[in-house]
Parts: sequence; structure tokens; C-alpha cells
Amino acid sequence: MNEKSETAHQSDCIISTSRLTKAFGKLVAVNDLHLEVMQGDVFGFLGPNGSGKTTTIRMLLGLIRPTAGRVVMFGMDTTYQLPAILQRVGAIVETPVFYPYLSGIDNLLAVAAASGMRSGKANRRRGEEVLELVELRIQAKMAYRKYSLGMKQRLGIAAALLTDPELVMLDEPTNGLDPSGMFEIRQLIHRLAELGKTIFLSSHLLNEVQQVCNRVAILQRGNLIKQGNVGELLRGNEQVLVRLNAPEETQAALATLRGARERGADWISNVVVEPNRQGQPTLRIDAPKARSAEINALLASDNLFAAELHPYEGSLEEIFLQLTTPNTNGGRRGMAGFASGGQEPYAFHPYNNAAPVLPNMPERAGEGRVDLP
Amino acid sequence: MNVSPQIFASTERSASVVMGRQDYLSVVLRLIGMELYKLRRRAMSKVLGIIAIVLAVLPFALVAFGTFATANAPAGSFAPSCQSIGPNGQPQQGPPPSCPTPSPAQVAQERQSIVQNTSAPLRLPDALNVAVQYGLIVGIVLLVILVGTIAGGEYATGTIRLLFIRGPTRTQFLIAKLGASFVVIFIGMLVMTALGVLTGQLFNPVSGVAQSGAFWSGAWIGHALLYLFIAMLNWFMFAVIAIFFATLGRSTAAGVVAGISWLFVEPILGSVLTLLGNVSKGALGDFLKAIPNYFIGTNFSALLTDQWQYLSLNSSSTPAVSVVHAVIVLLVYFAFFIGLTWWINKRRDVTN
Repeated sequence: MNEKSETAHQSDCIISTSRLTKAFGKLVAVNDLHLEVMQGDVFGFLGPNGSGKTTTIRMLLGLIRPTAGRVVMFGMDTTYQLPAILQRVGAIVETPVFYPYLSGIDNLLAVAAASGMRSGKANRRRGEEVLELVELRIQAKMAYRKYSLGMKQRLGIAAALLTDPELVMLDEPTNGLDPSGMFEIRQLIHRLAELGKTIFLSSHLLNEVQQVCNRVAILQRGNLIKQGNVGELLRGNEQVLVRLNAPEETQAALATLRGARERGADWISNVVVEPNRQGQPTLRIDAPKARSAEINALLASDNLFAAELHPYEGSLEEIFLQLTTPNTNGGRRGMAGFASGGQEPYAFHPYNNAAPVLPNMPERAGEGRVDLP
Repeated sequence: MNVSPQIFASTERSASVVMGRQDYLSVVLRLIGMELYKLRRRAMSKVLGIIAIVLAVLPFALVAFGTFATANAPAGSFAPSCQSIGPNGQPQQGPPPSCPTPSPAQVAQERQSIVQNTSAPLRLPDALNVAVQYGLIVGIVLLVILVGTIAGGEYATGTIRLLFIRGPTRTQFLIAKLGASFVVIFIGMLVMTALGVLTGQLFNPVSGVAQSGAFWSGAWIGHALLYLFIAMLNWFMFAVIAIFFATLGRSTAAGVVAGISWLFVEPILGSVLTLLGNVSKGALGDFLKAIPNYFIGTNFSALLTDQWQYLSLNSSSTPAVSVVHAVIVLLVYFAFFIGLTWWINKRRDVTN
């Protein structure tokens, strides 16, 4: 990267961490984290429970001090310029907590004063605006202690948006919300992103993250194991599912695909044969879905005609599980298959909303599978 | 959700967000306002306020009742006490035959003298002393409960996270808590003292003794204000102790228990040390007896006694330690507690 583009990169970088580490005694909660969030990103921050997501968010917001490394936000170091940084950030960390004896609007007025907003009618109006936004206007004068979990979450989001910040950090914002509430949060995030706000979203709901985020980072046991563009990650996970009419045809198709690969079709990486719920063998081919027609043609050239063919985009959930769960395929090995680079052929768990479920696929890992000698 | 484009702005803040001045003092003043707003909206503040008002009036009402009872006591209560002594030196039943019967004028004079002494706390300047000294126990207990709650409650409910991610520094938040405490003390002290003095004036006609105006002067008012200010600092010291322990223990209970314990344990400990010093004698005895001179109570008491000499018409009490000694010791206490609270507050990781 030349100097000019590096400067441009730095000015676009809203959050940058380098070698960020936090240890609680012997427990290393976050280890050597390098994170980059660019301006306008809707950045998904993923990881299993205890992976260090909230610890990272706390370090970004100055709630806890890093053991090592540094955080730069808006080009400023959090160690020295935290107040100036926080004025440009709206955040909820874990379950939002407010003063139980104050009403929703009074809590927002307290937050407004703490955020440097002038007291008076103008900011009361602003409070009412954000309460309207999260559909709490009717309950504005109700004591916070009487709020349901979903209402508390909404008030947290309202507080985060109160000052119309450039960066919105949301830690599990849909906790306690019903499906329509979740949908509304997604809409809100889209809208904020359209306005050029940068969103940092930590969530367990991978489908939700896939729908709203353009970039993600995946954390496991405090280590960053993947960071990148969602589209690119998903493209690397595309598959084509093919079912043929007879088991012997499936074996023949496997041979055809292996042959094609040996002849230079290196876009075919892993191929695994899995049974569907009716026990019918099905080929799961790791290949770009744009190659579906090519795969069909390849098989047809050997007089193998697909009974079913599904181009499959893959999902963030699969990538997440593959990266964070030991032995992701859960001991699932195909009935047969081959893999690039001499690796074991693997299969993803197909049961998620985004993935087309193979008809009558067995529920439990390994069930109904036969490893061929 | 209704996301209209006016609510958010793409580059600068939306026009509906009105920011205040961001200089250090303005931020602190706004935070003090926020703390006072929260206090005003708490049911607990109102309950403690009502208790403070009742307790401020109570001693004066009791003195008035005592005065009324004395003024209306039967004449026999004011007769000089006589007792006959037997030949073996033992007291005998019934008054001796030589015991003089007081005249009605003597009874009236004796009654007047006792009523005047009993009712003295109802009138200035004694009323000021009673109100302040009484407030130094009752007021401090109530204050410690309130301040312990505003400091420790942030940790107990988890709202400390909400505050620390909004922009102001942790030091500004601490100053705001201390500032809000001082405002509460200022109002509390003035209200309790004024109520006490007014109650005294209201009940004073019961005694039949007129309020003297002999002490009034510019200097007296100046000393009275200084006396009140020292008493406020005494309250503030305990507020600082409550904030320190509430911050250290991350809980309301820690601040309240430590503050109240300090208030009551210190005089007991002082008495025990003095007693041990008297028993031990020698260098060790002197050392033990000198320790209470470095207690908070002793030093504030010295400052108050020093001012009371100017306020009272017939004060004969002298401070236990010099004013300079008291000021230095109390400054060290303030610096220690505020400094340590600041350090803990600044360095602490805010987790669950």
C-alpha cells in the first residue's frame, strides 16, 4: 500500500485495534486482536459465548483497560482521547440498564445530560423522537422498572441513538425482542447504514448478521479467526447439491467429478456423498454456484442425469460453525467423496433457515451414513 | 419502527440534537444537575427529607415540652431539699423541724431560674448550637444513607456502564457526585438548622423568657456562617467517606455501613484510647491519649468549639486541639479519601 492510499485507509478507518489483549489473571479473554472497521461498515462481530466479544466492546468503549495493545477510533487513541471519541459513539453493552425509579423519558434526559446535550425542551423533543423510533412513546412516562425485557432493550437502543452518533455499537440488540421487533431493528440498521452511519453489531443471531452486515469478524476463545467481507466469505462456501436417480449413478458421478478435477477443473474442491432423509445418496459439491450448469453438463456428458440440482449459497451460520466448532462436521463424513489437497471431505450442517434442506436428511450427525472402505 | 429521515443526519448531528457547552466546568455542572435531578426523582430522597424535617423539629419540641412541664410544676417541686440526720449520721425519714419553708417569692424565683435554663436551647444563640450539634448526628446518618446510595447504587444497578460510555471523564463523574453531595448538604444543613431555630422561636413563648438581641452584630453573623460552614464540612467529610467505601465496595451497603460505623465507632474508640492512656501512663499512655487528637470528630469539634466561643454569650469551653492542627488533619483526611476514590474510579475495570 503506498503512502497516499494508506492515509486514505486510515482516515476511513473508524475502529482499528492492534495487538489488543486483555487478560484477567491467567485467563486471556482477548488475545492479540487486530480489528478494522471502516466508515459506513455494518460490521458483524461474532463468536460463541465467552469468546471475548463483550470484553472487546468494553475495551473499545474504555470500560476496561487493555492489558496490551491499543485501540484507535476516529483516528484517536482511546487511552488519551476517550471523551472525544465517546461523544461520537452511541452504544449498548450487554443488557441495557437504566435507573429503575425514573421513567423512560426521564432516563433519556439523564443520558442526554451525561452525553453533553443541553437540558431543556429541545432535548426532551429529541428524547421523544427516539422513543417514537423504538415505539416506546406511549410508555415514555412509565417507570423503567415496569418495562418488559424487550422494552428495556428498545430503550437501550433509543439511548444509543440519542445523540445521533457516527458510530453505533450494539451488543446483542435483539435480545428479548419478538420477531417483528427483530425485523424492525434490522430495518433501523439498514436505514442508519444508508445514512452513512457505521454500525458495529455483536450478535449470536447469524441469520440476522448475514442479512444486515457487509463485513464480519469471528472470534473464538479470544482469538480472531476470520475477518472479512460477508459476500466473499459466502462465495467461498458455495455448493451445488446433486441427487441422481440410482446409487450406482452417484458413484459414477463421483468418478466423473474426480476425473474433471484431475483434468483441471480446480473449481471443484470437496465432494461428499450424503444420504437424504429417504436414504438416497446425494452429492454435495463445493463449487461456485455459478458452475451449476457446468456440473450438470459434465454429468450429462457421461449420461448421468440429475434428478435434483440445487445451487446453494451457504450461510454465515455454516461458516461460523465450521470455524468455531471443533470437528465442525460433527464427525459427519460422507459415504464417499474426495477433497482438494488431500483433506478429508467434510459436510456442513444443512439445517438452517438459509440453506435448502435436503429432503429427509437425517437429523443427527452421522446418522444413516455409511463410510465406504 | 418509524425511521423518518429527520431523526438522523448523514454527516453532522441531526438538527434536533442540541449539544451544550463542552468545556470542563460546563460538563461538570451539567452532571451535577443530572445527579440532583436523579436525587429529586427518587422516593428515598423524599422519605429521608421528611425524616430530616421531623427530626430537626423534635429536640426543640421536647425542650418546649420540658419547659412547659417545669413552668407548670407544683410549688413543692421548687422547695429546697432538706433531710434530717440521725445521731448515728444516717439519714432519717421526713424533713427536720428546722427546715425552712420557702416563701412564694422564693419559689417563683427558683421556678424562673430553672425555666430559663431549661428553655435556653429554644433561644438564640443556644438554639443554633443545638440545631447544628443535633444535625451532626442525625443529619450525617441520613446523609450517609443518601450519598452511599447515589454512589454505590450506580454499581449495584449497573448504570455505571451507562454513564462511563457517554463522553465525560470518570473524574468529572466523581466531581459531579461530590458536587451534588455538597449541594444536598448545603440545603439539608440550612433547612434543618433554620427549621430548628424557627421551631425554638415558635415555642419560646412557653418559657415566658424573651429572646435577647444583645449578641446580634455583624461579627456574630460572620462567625455563625463560619460555624455553619464548618458543620457542612463535617457532613461533607462523611459524604466523602460514604462515596469512598461505596466505590471501593461497588455497593450502597458498603458506603452506608462504613459511613455510619465511622460516625459512631470513632468517639467510642477515642474514649477507650483515652482510658487506656490514663491507665498506662508514661510515654505509651501519652501516645494512646494523643491518638484521638487525629480523629475526624475531635478536629471538627475543635473548629466548632473555636467558633462557638464567639457565638455564645457565656461559653467557657476550649478546643481540644489548635485550629491549625485541626485544619491540617482534616485536609489530610479529605485528600486521602478523595484521592483514593479518584484513583480507584479511574483505574477500575467496569465489568459486571
